[in-house]
Amino acid sequence: MKFITIDKKNWAKGIEKSRETYRLFGPVKDKNGFFIRDLEKDMLPDMTCNDSVMSVKSVLFPQTEKILFASLNEAKEDHHIMKRVPFDPKQRAVVGIKPYDAKAVELVKMNFDTDDYRDPYWCDAYEATTFVGVGINKPGPFDFSTSTGTGPFSETGLDVLMADLDDAYLAKILTDKGDAFMKSCGFDKVADEKESLALFDILRKEAEKNISSHIDSSKLKDKTVLELHEAPFWDDIAFSCINCGTCTFVCPTCWCFDIQDEAKQKYASRFRNWDTCMSPLFTKHATGHNPRDSKTQRVRQRFMHKLKYFIDKYDQGIMCVGCGRCVKSCPVNIDIREVCKIMNSYVKSN
Amino acid sequence: MGNLLEHMGIERDRINFSWISSAEATKFVEVVKEISNKVRALGPNKKLVKDYN
Amino acid sequence: MDTCIQKIREIAFQLLDKKEVERVIGFSNGTIPMATSPITIASKQDTEKLVFNSTCGLNLANYIRQQKGKIAVIAKGCDTRNIVTHIIENQVKRDQIYIIGVPCKGMINKSKIKALFEDEIIKFDEDGEILNVESSSKKEKLNKKDYLRHNCSLCQHRNPVIYDVLAGERVEEQIIDVPYPDVEKIAAMDADTRWGHFQDLTKNCIRCYACRNACPLCYCPTCFVDESGPQWVGKGQDKTDVNTFHFLRAFHCAGRCTDCGACVEACPMEINVRDFTRKLNKDSLDMFGWEAGLDLTKRPPLDAYSPDDPNHFIK
Repeated sequence: MKFITIDKKNWAKGIEKSRETYRLFGPVKDKNGFFIRDLEKDMLPDMTCNDSVMSVKSVLFPQTEKILFASLNEAKEDHHIMKRVPFDPKQRAVVGIKPYDAKAVELVKMNFDTDDYRDPYWCDAYEATTFVGVGINKPGPFDFSTSTGTGPFSETGLDVLMADLDDAYLAKILTDKGDAFMKSCGFDKVADEKESLALFDILRKEAEKNISSHIDSSKLKDKTVLELHEAPFWDDIAFSCINCGTCTFVCPTCWCFDIQDEAKQKYASRFRNWDTCMSPLFTKHATGHNPRDSKTQRVRQRFMHKLKYFIDKYDQGIMCVGCGRCVKSCPVNIDIREVCKIMNSYVKSN
Repeated sequence: MGNLLEHMGIERDRINFSWISSAEATKFVEVVKEISNKVRALGPNKKLVKDYN
Repeated sequence: MDTCIQKIREIAFQLLDKKEVERVIGFSNGTIPMATSPITIASKQDTEKLVFNSTCGLNLANYIRQQKGKIAVIAKGCDTRNIVTHIIENQVKRDQIYIIGVPCKGMINKSKIKALFEDEIIKFDEDGEILNVESSSKKEKLNKKDYLRHNCSLCQHRNPVIYDVLAGERVEEQIIDVPYPDVEKIAAMDADTRWGHFQDLTKNCIRCYACRNACPLCYCPTCFVDESGPQWVGKGQDKTDVNTFHFLRAFHCAGRCTDCGACVEACPMEINVRDFTRKLNKDSLDMFGWEAGLDLTKRPPLDAYSPDDPNHFIK
């Protein structure tokens, strides 16, 4: 295992240097919090970011992405033939993301990259991207990532995991992609492996100790879908819900999208936009029939997907990384930790 | 509506309301001329215009 | 407001005990600091769950439509104005709603308080006019009046306008000399600056529609942004589409908005969407002397014709 020490005095210069090879993304402070954005010239990833309002999901899966276009000019030979928007092959790097977000990318990958189907837009972006994470020394009160198979120093999904040591970063190189990125920055001061491993271990344990929020999802797997689906608590959970899309949009693991066509004069575009299962439109059929017509059905769907269907389908734990964004952002304070507790402890009474 | 659009920064002269009876052809021509002149003076609108490309 | 919560619980208990209402809609404590959550209660034992404090910024009038049987609702001044609007617009019947009115001294601006801290707030409580807020790195004692929401600081209808019972003493109404300083500030800018202001305002909008869905006025079975035949507006992140949504939604609230602030309260991006609606509120007041939701017997200005309606805009 290779470790590299980066003096913070050299950080900005190194990151700038990497631009020769990489298009950079990272946390940017804007109004109410941090967002993961395309870092334009002279912008550095804001490493003071403890957590971001929006997750890293948008780097691979923008909220609105133009995917195809066509000419409607019948004089042209290729009129009405949809063509893919050219993919920018330049390498990308997301710098300063949190380990739970990297884990989320791995969960989303299960949907976009399967044996039967490979989503070209997401997968091409994924393959071009290097994920440079930074461990969370002081997890906030909403972080329950240790209960979801990740944690403040988890390596899943990352190419580099850095530890913030006040005046330096200690970087653990996890993949060849990560190694290449560090080289492009000119960061090459190798640190002692044994000492570094020990240091990471201390930091991880210290950070995990600071996590005060936990959930127990251990019993969900053995419950039947119908038992939970027909449970009596859904109306109460859903009552306060206003059916906005906040929870799904801030969620790093929500992957649903909607396809929209737009045309003007002789030019047509096809977009994909994030969709939300909280909206009645999500399941509304062309006939007008809506199988998920009530608020309770929609709220149930979201939690059943995250906490039951996903477990059953992939057997890889729950579809939640414990970032706490939905808990913080929900306008009516529907708390997935509470819902998980209710579901996990539910026993059907006869 | 005109007031809110103006408040948002759309020039007032771009928004016009008129009540013209089907029998008032002359008034229709006058109003359209007046509006065209006002809008021409402002130049092409760049606000609240969608770029489709 | 501690005393009023006892009163609210007593009233709710009696109503459920005597079966005068089937359910009571109110607020319960949230799972995180500075959060409360709308709740419906059907059993008198559960009335202990009811709370009322300065974090109850949502509007419960949004939860009373399409309910079966008689229900009771806990309502601040602005909530009652929206109940009046609901009755005028035939969304509920007066005799179906039992209104537990709460004279209100204003709700707190959660974003302003959060901005005082670099880390997350882990504890919040209020002691009369004092707010005690704590994060892992510091503690603050704040005067509530300095941290009121903007709409609450300018509110002139703190007392419920209709009610069946009041859960507290009436509070003194504020005298506000300049009710729309924010609108005037924007109006004083030139056209391009105003445009820039609104572009910047909605910049981070993610179109979650929390503003619309938290709004008691937005009860259309299908909102214009959700229509597909014809489709009025694009659904993506295009700036023009985003602004069209905000502008048209605001316009649909003309002469109906009570400036309850639920839209801003709900927005996960802390966008002050009231910059749109308040212009229309000001116009309603200036042109028609109208403030929404004050009188069950009057039709709203955009719903009625009067020979002396201002008509300078029409040629």
